[in-house]
Amino acid sequence: MTENQVEIVRTICNSHCGGTCEMKVHVQDNKIIRIEPDDRPGHPRMCARGHAYRQRVYAPDRLLYPLKRTGPRGAGEFVRISWDEAAETVATELQKVKAAYGNAAILHFCSMCDPHTLHHVGAFHRLLCQFGGYTAPWGFISHEGATFAAGLTYGTRRKYVQTEHGADEYASSKFLIMWGWNPATTDLGSLTNLALVLAKEKGTRIVTVDPRFTDSAAVFADQWIPIRPGTDAAALLSMAHVVMKENLQDQAFIDKYTLGYEPFKAYVMGEEDGVEKTPQWASLISGIPAETIAKLAREFATNKPATLVTSIGPGRTAMGEQYHRAAHALEAITGNTAFANWQSGPSRNMKFNPQLPSPPNAVEEGMPPRNIALPYRSRTVNSSARVNVSSFANAILKGKAGGYAAEYKAIWLSNTNYLNQLGDVNNTAKAFEKLDFALVTEQFMTPTARFADIVLPVCTFLERHDIVAPRGGQVFAILNKAIEPLGESKSQREICQLLAKKLGIEDYGDASDEEMVKNIIEQASEEVDLPDFETLKKEGMHRVKRADTPGLQKDSPKLPGDTPLKTPSGKIEIYSEVALNMNQPQIPALPKYIETWEGLNDPLVQKYPLQLISPHLKRRAHTQFDNLPWLRELQIQAVSMNTVDAGKRGIQQGEMVRVFNDRGEVRIPAKVTERIMPGVVALPQGAWYTPDEKGIDHGGCVNVLTKNEISPGGAFACHTALVQIEKVVE
Amino acid sequence: MMTQYGLHIDQNRCTGCFACVVACKDWHNVPAGPASWINVKVIEKGTYPDLFVAFLPTTCYHCKSPACLDVCPVGAIAKRDEDGIVTVDRELCLGKTDCGQCLEACSYSAPQFGEEEDAKMQKCDLCIDRWAESKKPVCVMSCPMYALDAGPLEDLRKKEQIARETEGFTYSESLGPSVLFKAKRR
Repeated sequence: MTENQVEIVRTICNSHCGGTCEMKVHVQDNKIIRIEPDDRPGHPRMCARGHAYRQRVYAPDRLLYPLKRTGPRGAGEFVRISWDEAAETVATELQKVKAAYGNAAILHFCSMCDPHTLHHVGAFHRLLCQFGGYTAPWGFISHEGATFAAGLTYGTRRKYVQTEHGADEYASSKFLIMWGWNPATTDLGSLTNLALVLAKEKGTRIVTVDPRFTDSAAVFADQWIPIRPGTDAAALLSMAHVVMKENLQDQAFIDKYTLGYEPFKAYVMGEEDGVEKTPQWASLISGIPAETIAKLAREFATNKPATLVTSIGPGRTAMGEQYHRAAHALEAITGNTAFANWQSGPSRNMKFNPQLPSPPNAVEEGMPPRNIALPYRSRTVNSSARVNVSSFANAILKGKAGGYAAEYKAIWLSNTNYLNQLGDVNNTAKAFEKLDFALVTEQFMTPTARFADIVLPVCTFLERHDIVAPRGGQVFAILNKAIEPLGESKSQREICQLLAKKLGIEDYGDASDEEMVKNIIEQASEEVDLPDFETLKKEGMHRVKRADTPGLQKDSPKLPGDTPLKTPSGKIEIYSEVALNMNQPQIPALPKYIETWEGLNDPLVQKYPLQLISPHLKRRAHTQFDNLPWLRELQIQAVSMNTVDAGKRGIQQGEMVRVFNDRGEVRIPAKVTERIMPGVVALPQGAWYTPDEKGIDHGGCVNVLTKNEISPGGAFACHTALVQIEKVVE
Repeated sequence: MMTQYGLHIDQNRCTGCFACVVACKDWHNVPAGPASWINVKVIEKGTYPDLFVAFLPTTCYHCKSPACLDVCPVGAIAKRDEDGIVTVDRELCLGKTDCGQCLEACSYSAPQFGEEEDAKMQKCDLCIDRWAESKKPVCVMSCPMYALDAGPLEDLRKKEQIARETEGFTYSESLGPSVLFKAKRR
């Protein structure tokens, strides 16, 4: 590489957005000068966030040195220390907690701030298991409601949600329902939006059911049906009522592939509880006119093939799993269960382990499964030693007295901003105050990092080697290091290697990232047809053609074929004995509408009459990218409210408002719009918590207002919260 | 007749994702701030629940008769013979504070100015540097929806359902903007 010459490094962007988009990084003298979109036809193209990545690498607020806390937790007062001192402190503190309380007292969480494969949870898991174990999480913040429902209904761990539908399925559908699904905002790094627009061009009728007239509604939908948050199951069950009442069900499909139609029918028709789940009944709950529900049901049942894309969003509610189960039941009774792309793609069958194998986690050994364990999950994931990720703050605050498996004294958060992203920030802040030791490994001084005792600087994915293999379905991509790490930042794996030495662990593994990548490619080549390492390195990526899914009938892709599912009956279980045996009143054997807390019948509605939801914003991936100027200027952080609700409160467009409930207060401008249902307000999630001295947040962090309580099935219930909004009077 | 380069926008496909906006800022090194060579306009009509929303990328349309060129007192704006691309020489430009006449003359708000005091005019040059390497403009190549295209107008005119106007855009006879649309379906 001669001086001043521009080298183009191919890599792939994958920043907790679900995308795997190629980048051509222009590098001159070890500096990124621009990032060019790749031009390979048929591949997803980068979104605005990928294009802004240069600003992320060179952001003035990048963490470049290890830091030690000097002020109170949360104050953000830190001093620079050496890596040696930092690693020594971490090792000493972890050893202390281990000696005094045992390994279960150590919590570790890792999320998706561009960690890809080598630098993801496996790297930390191996280290902590070698250290004698730790308390690991269970559950997905994004889609535990969906995962739980899919586990009961289909016997699969796969979440069976929007990503399980394939692009080809949209165009072949006559009718498509986008239920709470806004891919124009949430699915930027894929070909999904292109597939939807092509389906529309081909004549697929598209209906969106959503409290908001989303950008997806604007671009794709022929009809928008506004719905109150948390009432989706009621609307779906009443659609099933229309199907049954008008004899529109697909009896052949029901007989062959499902279990529990008769008890489900008895519930829907009111024979079980005396309440007939008519469109009129659902209308009062959901706010959708009864005729609209009936028409939607008829269209879905009679325009086959029809597709129901149930977003994971409405599942992030107090009874989220019931929505997913109701949707699965409606699909099944109309014969619209979509199996075409289910479990397809090579990633689903990958057996290779990208990390060196870990010893078992000693903390989980001998522990019984938790009471809502799913038989399809591994023994370790089902272990009662684990803490539901969305409840970690309560686990710290309540410990054994609160029914948790241990007292938690130390936490290590890698690439996560959980203080910001989980229910009730003020509660989470209290949890941090209770800890003996908190370690955060991060790129930026996030609201979570401010609560750490030691903050270790992590480099971006453009500063180290990695591979995208199992994640992202059909993509094998080598993430080529474009530049040397900035300052003293290190990769996640390097940090683990360093800490292993300080903890006296000899055999963590010293192989370089590049050697590891090469190894993975060789292993994967045994199962998938791949170019060799050098070619892949040069090309950056390789897309594998979707494999035919074993056990599915190719000629009728909507049918699951004759291979039994992994449910106890081998069928699609509308009625689930697994659920029944959990013995939880709010986890019934059938999909049911169960009223949520903080719904419109909660007495709290007198004080806090508005239903708050927390959708995504295009310019962020959760909390990532919120600090980049090129992105910040695209969309302001504001609370959306209907003109009617704003009018009642004398609130004008752009005026500063207080959004509050008993949990906290956010001050943020109002976005007065026709594009949201009256009674519902939306504050986009991911903005960084920025409290003043009174604890009022000025950053617009929605989780100041959400509740720290999970659904009976373990879902993060961020879209179930009541608030009031008032004009700020100074 | 001179070859005129221009843009084609399929408004039905634009999801308002801003990929073009940031790709342009990165490629041309335009800092965050009021200057952006391409923007996305959001058009919202109707009252709840009967709504219509559309997105429209807006930029310089390299007009047949650029009003900006006519009013520029120092000849900083030029129209290239070979492709009709309208360019600006920022060394010659007097700046927004002292002049700003191009901005007033343009019906499409194409001239852009940064937030600095003596901001000089900058705007889309249809990626002249990329055409030189046989590459289309970065906005075109960044669009995940393949909603944008660029090239000689006579080629773009061969596309299906060509329209001169769409939601949020009115054709100016006097300027002759070099942009074609697939108009938004209502």
